[in-house]
Amino acid sequence: MRFAVAALVLLVAAVAYGQSQLPKRDLGVAWSRGAARVSFSAKDLADERVRQQLSSGLRKRMEVTVSAHLNGSNWRMGVRQFGCDVTRDLWEDGYLVRIGDQSERLKTLEQVLDRCLVVEGLFVGEPNSYALQKGRDIYFAVKAEFNPISKKQCTELIRPSSGGDPVGPISVTIVRRRICKAERRIAFRSEVLRVPE
Amino acid sequence: MSRFERKILFAIGLAVFLALGGSIFLAQGALRDVYAVGVNERFGAELVHGVEARRGQLMALRASSDQVADAVLWAVEAQLATSRSDAALDSLLAELLDRYEAVQSIRLIDDADEVLANAVRAPDPVGGALRTTIRDRETGRGERKLRIEVEVSVPERYFERLQEAGEVADVYSRLQQQGASVSDVYAWVFGVLAFFVILVAFLIGAIVSRRVTRRVTDLAEASRKVGAGDLTVALPTGAGDEITELTKAFNQMVRDLRDSRTRIEYLQRIGAWQDFARRLAHEIKNPLTPIQLAAQEMSETYAGEDEAYQKKLLQARAIIEEEVATLRRLVGEFSAFAKLPRADLSPSDLCELIESIRISIPAVLEDVGRGAAAPVEVQLSCATKPIRVRMDPMMLKRGVDNIVRNAIQAVHAAHPAGGGRVLVRAYQSEGSGFIEIRDNGAGIDEENWERVFDPYYTTKAEGTGLGLAIVKKVVLEHGGEVRLDRAPEGGARFSIELPLMETS
Repeated sequence: MRFAVAALVLLVAAVAYGQSQLPKRDLGVAWSRGAARVSFSAKDLADERVRQQLSSGLRKRMEVTVSAHLNGSNWRMGVRQFGCDVTRDLWEDGYLVRIGDQSERLKTLEQVLDRCLVVEGLFVGEPNSYALQKGRDIYFAVKAEFNPISKKQCTELIRPSSGGDPVGPISVTIVRRRICKAERRIAFRSEVLRVPE
Repeated sequence: MSRFERKILFAIGLAVFLALGGSIFLAQGALRDVYAVGVNERFGAELVHGVEARRGQLMALRASSDQVADAVLWAVEAQLATSRSDAALDSLLAELLDRYEAVQSIRLIDDADEVLANAVRAPDPVGGALRTTIRDRETGRGERKLRIEVEVSVPERYFERLQEAGEVADVYSRLQQQGASVSDVYAWVFGVLAFFVILVAFLIGAIVSRRVTRRVTDLAEASRKVGAGDLTVALPTGAGDEITELTKAFNQMVRDLRDSRTRIEYLQRIGAWQDFARRLAHEIKNPLTPIQLAAQEMSETYAGEDEAYQKKLLQARAIIEEEVATLRRLVGEFSAFAKLPRADLSPSDLCELIESIRISIPAVLEDVGRGAAAPVEVQLSCATKPIRVRMDPMMLKRGVDNIVRNAIQAVHAAHPAGGGRVLVRAYQSEGSGFIEIRDNGAGIDEENWERVFDPYYTTKAEGTGLGLAIVKKVVLEHGGEVRLDRAPEGGARFSIELPLMETS
């Protein structure tokens, strides 16, 4: 039991340390109705290879996760995530972008990247979360990923054999995590800022 | 934990963990090989080619539908240029719709967005979803500006298949890139699970081995006790394994040692008593004759007239002579006990011994009956003939005669009017020959069963207590045992056990 608690503490500390070591980038942060609105660009996720893949006609996904953290702590005050499914239309020129339930057709890849990776005034967290931390230092962390295979799809494609052996299910779970992770990933954080009083 | 236990556990641990390490090493190599067979570059390349082929198919379909749209547009344009008949135009649109499967509708629209002619394909209920696009061209009929719209389509399934092929190729490409790590994951998961299985097996092995080593430790501890002189040690025997055999052999060895020590101690005690009897006989025997002569002299040389004194002298002489005779008999028995030779063993038959005893029975009966044969029934028998043992027939007969005489005396005392019965029988059982003497006399109290074999212990008024001691000495010198317990008839039962001769 003591070993398990120690392992958990070490894990949390390691994650917190890893988070604090992210490269810093200027993020626009505005406060509206007690909550933070964040603006930034993660277009550098789209390197040459990513752009090629987005133009391939195959459906690709980009996911952006923004989270707010208390400085010096791993505790996440709020998180916001959205994903873009991008398909270049081979039938008619242009790109089909699907965000949640909404679809839209864009002409160029630049428009797609602006739509999916440039964030303007995104609410991150609930006002209640910030109300408890007034005057305290916080920072925002951003993670942008290209083409992570969805959990559902990953589960469908990588399945253990039906032999009922104990090795298969455990191994497959680990393999899925490795295989289905994003092809490219960038992460950065904001400078420390203070929650307004 | 003893060193023995530690060694056994070390051996088990070494064996299982070497097996585990070896199996992980081999499994890792085997998994990599298997993985490389199933997930290789050629398959990946073929999947990528498949995706490219589907994409090419779509592009070809797009070009084809563009050509179809162009053909339709030209045909309609030509019709508009050559004919003003609306009926002919409708007929042409219907014909074009029939001719080109990819065309879903053809419409002729004027500049006021009024549809002048229209041909629409009926939806196919089983054809699946379609992706459509409109190709249009501006044209004119006379002064009027017109627009021809041709809606061409391609089945949606071509796009779905492209996506599916792309996803599979994507995952396959990742599996290919992660080949070594995927194999390692399987090997390590197998290793970790095998480790836990082996750990459980190791614990079970430790428990089982501990049971074995504890028994060995118990044996070692018992051996130390035996070495220190404690021959009462007896270890429990468990399941029928080699350790049990060893424990049984150990217990038997301790029993043999205990019997040997008892035998030796008894013989040593007998030897000491023999020495004592020899000295006693010597010391008593010498003054007896002068005492007797002196008494006779006193009686015979009295010359006085006092008749009462004369009478007292004669009475005293008679008493002295009687007691001297008793002492002489005792001295004789002590002397005989002291001079008892060691048994001289030779191959013999117990049944012959029984026969020789049978001959002496009448004399014993007469002696016990003080002149007349005592009314005691004596039965002698030999169950199996012959019963081969190594014995000194003379000495053993003397011992058995002693017991038989005692038995006859006992039953005669208990049944003076008759009904007394003594049974003497010889038989063999489980590697031993037995002589059993039992009677229906009063028997001997259980608390005296051990003591009756001690020298000079007797319950009879005229006994010396040497008879049974001699019997035991003789039997022990034969390597046998003599025991006393209660006979089924209620009297005493003596059992003499002698080792049978090994048959070659």
